[in-house]
Amino acid sequence: MSLNFILFLIFAFIAATSAVLMITRKSAIIAALFLILNFAALSGLYLTLNAQFIAVVQVIVYAGAIMVLFLFVIMLLRPSDEQSIFDDNPKLKWLATFVGVLVFAQILAIIFIGRPSDGLTPDLQRSIEVGTIEAIGRELYTTYLIPFQSAAFLLLAATIGALILAKKKLED
Amino acid sequence: MIPTALEFQLLLPVLIIAAGILISLIIEMFSSKSEKILPWFSIALFVSTAYYSLLTVGHERIIFNSMLAAGGTANIFFFVFTFGAAIVTLISIDYIKKIGMYYGEYYILLQSAVLGMMLMANAQDLVMIFMGLEQMSVCFYILAGFNRKKIKSNEAAMKYFLLGAFATGFIVYGIALMYGVAQTMSIPAIANGLLIYSDNIIFVAGLLLFIIGFSFKIAAVPFHMWVPDVYQGSPTSITALMSTGGKAAAFSSLLIIFTPLFATTQSTLFQPYLVVIATLSMLLGSIVAIAQTDLKRMLAYSSISHAGYILIGVAAGSELGIASVIFYLSAYTFMNLGTFGIISMIENKDEGNLSLNDYSGLGNKKPMLAALLAIFMFALAGIPPFAGFFGKYYVFIAAIESNLTWLAIVGVLSSVISIYFYLRVVVVMYFQKDENILNVEDSSPALLGIMISALLVIVMGIAPGSIINLISNFVK
Amino acid sequence: MTELIYLTVLLPLIGFLINGLFGSKIKNEKIIGTIGSGAIGLSFIVVLLILIETLGKPADQRVTIVTLFQWMKVGNLDISIAYQVDQLSILMALIVTGIGFLIHVYSIGYMHGDKGFWRFFAYLNLFIFAMMNLILADNFVLLFLGWEGVGLCSYLLIGFWYDRKFEKSTTASAAKKAFVINRIGDFGFLLGIFLIYMTFGSLNFTEVFTAANHIPVDESVVSFIALFLFIGAIGKSAQIPLFVWLPDAMAGPTPVSALIHAATMVTAGVYMVARCSIFYAMAPTIMMVVAIIGLLTAMFAATIGLVQNDIKKVLAYSTVSQLGYMFLALGVGAFTSGIFHVMTHAFFKALLFLGAGSVIHGMHHEQNIQKYGGLKKYMPVTFITFLIACIAIAGIPPFSGFFSKDEILWYSYAKGNFLFWLIGALTALITAFYMFRLLSLTFFGKERFDKHHVHPHESPKVMTVPLIILAFFSIVAGFIGIPEVFSGEGGNQIKNWLAPVFADAHSKKITYGMPSHFVEILLMVISVAGAAAAIWLARHVYLTKPGLADQIANRMKKGYSVLLNKYYVDEIYNKLIVQPIYKVSDGFLFKFTDVKIIDGTINRTASLIDLFSNNIKRIQTGVAQFYAIIMMIGIVIALFWIIVSLI
Repeated sequence: MSLNFILFLIFAFIAATSAVLMITRKSAIIAALFLILNFAALSGLYLTLNAQFIAVVQVIVYAGAIMVLFLFVIMLLRPSDEQSIFDDNPKLKWLATFVGVLVFAQILAIIFIGRPSDGLTPDLQRSIEVGTIEAIGRELYTTYLIPFQSAAFLLLAATIGALILAKKKLED
Repeated sequence: MIPTALEFQLLLPVLIIAAGILISLIIEMFSSKSEKILPWFSIALFVSTAYYSLLTVGHERIIFNSMLAAGGTANIFFFVFTFGAAIVTLISIDYIKKIGMYYGEYYILLQSAVLGMMLMANAQDLVMIFMGLEQMSVCFYILAGFNRKKIKSNEAAMKYFLLGAFATGFIVYGIALMYGVAQTMSIPAIANGLLIYSDNIIFVAGLLLFIIGFSFKIAAVPFHMWVPDVYQGSPTSITALMSTGGKAAAFSSLLIIFTPLFATTQSTLFQPYLVVIATLSMLLGSIVAIAQTDLKRMLAYSSISHAGYILIGVAAGSELGIASVIFYLSAYTFMNLGTFGIISMIENKDEGNLSLNDYSGLGNKKPMLAALLAIFMFALAGIPPFAGFFGKYYVFIAAIESNLTWLAIVGVLSSVISIYFYLRVVVVMYFQKDENILNVEDSSPALLGIMISALLVIVMGIAPGSIINLISNFVK
Repeated sequence: MTELIYLTVLLPLIGFLINGLFGSKIKNEKIIGTIGSGAIGLSFIVVLLILIETLGKPADQRVTIVTLFQWMKVGNLDISIAYQVDQLSILMALIVTGIGFLIHVYSIGYMHGDKGFWRFFAYLNLFIFAMMNLILADNFVLLFLGWEGVGLCSYLLIGFWYDRKFEKSTTASAAKKAFVINRIGDFGFLLGIFLIYMTFGSLNFTEVFTAANHIPVDESVVSFIALFLFIGAIGKSAQIPLFVWLPDAMAGPTPVSALIHAATMVTAGVYMVARCSIFYAMAPTIMMVVAIIGLLTAMFAATIGLVQNDIKKVLAYSTVSQLGYMFLALGVGAFTSGIFHVMTHAFFKALLFLGAGSVIHGMHHEQNIQKYGGLKKYMPVTFITFLIACIAIAGIPPFSGFFSKDEILWYSYAKGNFLFWLIGALTALITAFYMFRLLSLTFFGKERFDKHHVHPHESPKVMTVPLIILAFFSIVAGFIGIPEVFSGEGGNQIKNWLAPVFADAHSKKITYGMPSHFVEILLMVISVAGAAAAIWLARHVYLTKPGLADQIANRMKKGYSVLLNKYYVDEIYNKLIVQPIYKVSDGFLFKFTDVKIIDGTINRTASLIDLFSNNIKRIQTGVAQFYAIIMMIGIVIALFWIIVSLI
């Protein structure tokens, strides 16, 4: 029962529960807050894997920038509480839960049958090396140059799209 | 490793489009007449890329640290995407003015979508496939909702986005599982170890989830549910590109994954899955299309059934199977583009004139349009001598040669059913008395695009042998 | 130059597309006519240049295959759009494009003022396109494509004046009759093609004929192939028993009759049999059948032509008869002679039809020769050219018909038997007789038309110049086929030209010794003398003693009416074949099988699917979350399958 394992259990539990809670809340603000919690837990998980850069970026970008944006939008829009389709069709709720649980069980089964950790030896030194900013930066600009640049185009397209779809008045 | 100049040269098709996007953005920013300039600029971009792609189809290399593959089938797909996009642009010129979404950004987003498609087609790395997929999908989510004033368009965009993101989630999870086992994202490297990995349940499950995610994109049953609503609600010119280029891009990525698999002895690993969804897609698509009165919705279901036919080619798992898939996609692209082009011309600005009965008497009122639409309907139904017949023919032959004869039989039966709703359009156009006054504004660019599509459909039907030989050369 | 052969096919197609798509908008007849004629004219020039180039090559290198592209590959069957340029196809191409061009030019004058002017030229060009495909094809599939294409154009052109009456019914039914009867022949043709593929595994001429030549094949198989192919030829080239469509085809405009039903399409059957000469050489029984049918048809049709009163009908039966001669030639193994006669016949028959058209044009569409008479002073050019054609067809030297027809008669004696020659010679006499009957009644004698209402006049130059050109060739064309008895060994130009094409076939046949030159010249003299006598007799009966014809007719009333009613063949067919098929078709096959069983099943299946459709479409609820659930269900099943198969 190493510290690593305990930390993993804690963070995983928080991440999983906050995710489930987030989906099932009817109020948008509460759901957003639970999402922030989820992101924080994920950041913790990254730390247990020695992915320092990713952990920090997760907090800064996701929990910090994106979720704050979400909260601002929710505050401005003030959506009323969600009306679930399950209110009209309760049978659907049971079907959905059943299917969800089934998929969960299947994935669990696959992982436990497959036993991915067999034949893998943890290499702490290498793991720390790989997680540093320098390592990531080097890979991004050499091996993964093309995906990196294409991500730029993706962001460009998303920005243009967001502007077009949301701008109040456009000159026709 | 620093990329060499040769690699940049081989990347030229992608670079042209990327540069084009940036230049278009600048034009949009500084010119007030951008809506007039951009379409022609886009067409020039697309056509030059298409031409260059065909020119360099023989230079096959894996470039940029095995991120991308230049030449070969990738270039053939480039041609289909860019030429198809050029035709869509022609269709859009007057359409977006008519519908009231006359913004230059439309063309920029079109170009971005094509960029995404191209990245999907020549990817050699799982990350690259994902990047291309997201690029294309995000652009399509936006374009689907481009007609902001219409609620159907908004609904289409929302549904597409939600379900698309859902599917992408499965794709990423699949990639993660595959990476976990293979410890590399590079497809050639994965291909080397495929025989070992295919015994590993985690890898196979990952691959399955990946394929399922793509089955969403190609509109295969039971992952097709978004298609009718999204195709119907999106602006017609966008539906045109989505149903053709989008589907072709998704198939191209599937082929990238499947081609190394077929080369090993495990070629029938996913055959049961493919066979099942192929059958379901063909039958459901054809059967439900019969009950549709809205043309765009009917074509959405027809799109689902065509995905089924193409999947037969994938299920066959042979070289002929892959070549037939590429041929079918090319033929299907032009048939569908032509059809949607005509629909977009007839559609009026309140999204009316889309129901089947609105087309009655078109044979008298607009004989040229009606004749062109008839050609496309015949082609889609798979009637010779148009391209659609040979597309189906090659796919069925591939199936029979892989001992999937009964699958070909299902395909034939489904084709028979589909003849009904395709020819129904022809019957309504020529034999039904016209009840309404149809005011169709002629759009010369659109007509040009439609006629080019018709020409290609006819040419592919007259010389299919030469084309499939060309394609087979590059399928290994 | 030879690689440009595809131009000869492409240009007519382009002409068809231009005139067909835009013709109704081009109001200027001259433009339409120039496009149509120009396309064929250019094709002719290309063929001519190819001919010159080929003449420069040594005799064994004159076959070139020009492949355009692969059409389809089905299993082992590889079909390309490819053209075989050899001596036979060049000759046929010259005939088709050359005479085709002249007829196009003529049509500019003949069809002047017709509201379907553009349609006419479009169809004519389409016809040339199909015909060129037929004669240039290097495989049976492309040939059949052209075969069907000319059948289609024949239908379109026979029924060109679709709103007119023709005899007892309409032009449309004449067109339909032509099409249906052709179909019967085509059925045989198709069986032949299937058999060829089954036996030789290919449909490419070079491969099939080489295989037939070298690989031992069962004679009965080859006989069946030859027979089935010949059935196709019987349909297309109007032999017994499928000739009945040709007289009805006269419902179409006269240039159509000239081009399609005299010079080109009807000779497609002859061409096809000649092309497949090796099959026939290997099946002597079928060759005998070919010869006999050709001979009987020749005689049969000639007797009918004797008493017809419609100028075009006479020429139609004359065509059927002359086609019979061509098949007689093929049947006795004189392939070159058959093709030679195709060529000369094309010239003078086209000339006859165009001349008839000129007369009809000048007589305001009157076609009954009993209402003609003494026209030679009103239409001098037409008269002289018609006279030349009549002399040619009668077989009087040195006009072209003499050379080709006499060569056929000679070989029917030398390679056939005396009976063949006798019937052939008698038919030649009858031919001479009825042609000069036609000439006499039309151009000589008392004018039997109402001078106040009918003003015959000569036709414009655009119509008479082609007549003159055709007349010229009707005179000189024979000189390329001067028999060796006069020109010495190897002096028969056309025989030398075509010899390599038929070399394989000739090698298969057992050749007996040929009778002597003396017999040849003797037979020649007999036939020429007979022809001259027949001509004199015709003039005597119809000119010097006008009433004589009617007297003879009255004395032999029964015989006369049998001939006039073409042996009642149409009526017999109608009673024995058409009506019974109609009854079964309507009563049983339609009312019962089609309506009840087939329609019933289909309608019930369709309703079933409709039911499915309407119910399944309800799954599409429009609720996105529901869609996601369906997707998940799919995933569950798929994952399940993975787990089970990989445990």
